[in-house]
Amino acid sequence: MSSRIPDTHAEAWALLPWLANGRIQASDREWVEAHVAGCEECRAEVAAQRMMATAMNRGATPETAATDEQRSFNRLWARIEASESASPASVAADAARPTTRYSRTVRWLAAAVVIQGFGLALFGFNALSGPSGISEIETATRSPAARLNAPKVRIVFAPDASIATINTLLAHQGLSIVSGPGTAGNFTAELSADAVASGASANSVADVIAKDPNVTFAQPIAR
Amino acid sequence: MALKSVESQALRASSPGPDASERELLERVAKARDQAAFRTLYGNYYQRLSRLLARMSVRREDIEEVINDTFWVIWTKAGEFRGASQLSTWIIGIAYRRALNALRRAKIRPVSDAPFDEDSISVESTDDAETDGQWLSLGLSRLPVEQRMALELTYTLGHSCEEVAAILDCPVNTVKTRLFRARETLKQVLPSLAGMPGEKS
Repeated sequence: MSSRIPDTHAEAWALLPWLANGRIQASDREWVEAHVAGCEECRAEVAAQRMMATAMNRGATPETAATDEQRSFNRLWARIEASESASPASVAADAARPTTRYSRTVRWLAAAVVIQGFGLALFGFNALSGPSGISEIETATRSPAARLNAPKVRIVFAPDASIATINTLLAHQGLSIVSGPGTAGNFTAELSADAVASGASANSVADVIAKDPNVTFAQPIAR
Repeated sequence: MALKSVESQALRASSPGPDASERELLERVAKARDQAAFRTLYGNYYQRLSRLLARMSVRREDIEEVINDTFWVIWTKAGEFRGASQLSTWIIGIAYRRALNALRRAKIRPVSDAPFDEDSISVESTDDAETDGQWLSLGLSRLPVEQRMALELTYTLGHSCEEVAAILDCPVNTVKTRLFRARETLKQVLPSLAGMPGEKS
């Protein structure tokens, strides 16, 4: 029940858009509806506004693909991770962060990096060069000479990118995975000494691979 | 028929149910830094914001940046949301202000100065809806961004007058005035939508 009954044409007129969209306040609905029932001009205006609302909904921007949304989110998440990894507060946040689901490829890559690390520790480099699929991942852990100051790039691969494709992509750019994945599925890869000697930089490589459809995000890591 | 369609969309956009569940998601983001909750929240708003920003004339290549800037704020300020307003008005309000900044950076005038080009409307189209849509797009482009947003938030996203005021950060009466002026302007260029008798068969 309304505590105030203005029932003036001007006040009702101003509220017609919300009568048309169904979101008029309950306290106003009763008196506005009563006014409209007896006012031909307001009835015509409500009808016109409903037409306009219908046309606006019909003319809405076409929906973007789910892959666009996922790519956007991946970029945002990589940005959040980059920011938090640079902040001491991230330690607490990381501790509270729950496990995240990754694509098979991402989990596989993660396992490859971890297992290769163990492999190096236990058996040395040569023990890893066997037929195992894991050894097909190009990681810097192959080389004891992984360089502390090597240019590095943060990468998020597309969920459907295959291991073979990723390996080819990394090899072409002289990159090796050194860590990952982060909670957004991001990896850190470093440039080989040969690639650096041939003029490649973290910036130039990140620019190139960011355009690859198998990569959703690539960013040079500041040293 | 048209009213039912519009009202159902409005309800989808703003019924109390989604707000309660989204507040739970935000709480998980704030307290547990829960990525899955954050991702769900992002998905709930991605389409809505994309569409709103396109209506604001934010360039296509800048839309993602504005959305991600908005959710960057949500990630960092999740714990500061006190629930004084609907969560949707908080999120869309952040996006609106970020978009205004993007428009300023891109030096995009929110209103076209070009004369209203009636020739660009296809006279060959026999589809009234299509023709109305073309008129509407042109008509909307003539409105100041604040008026365009008041229309979009009310008619397309189905917000109440009070929610629109919160999003645009202005008094309720200002929203009513903006919508009144927008409707008057559109009536001059959209006779059929204005319901003027005799203007259209």
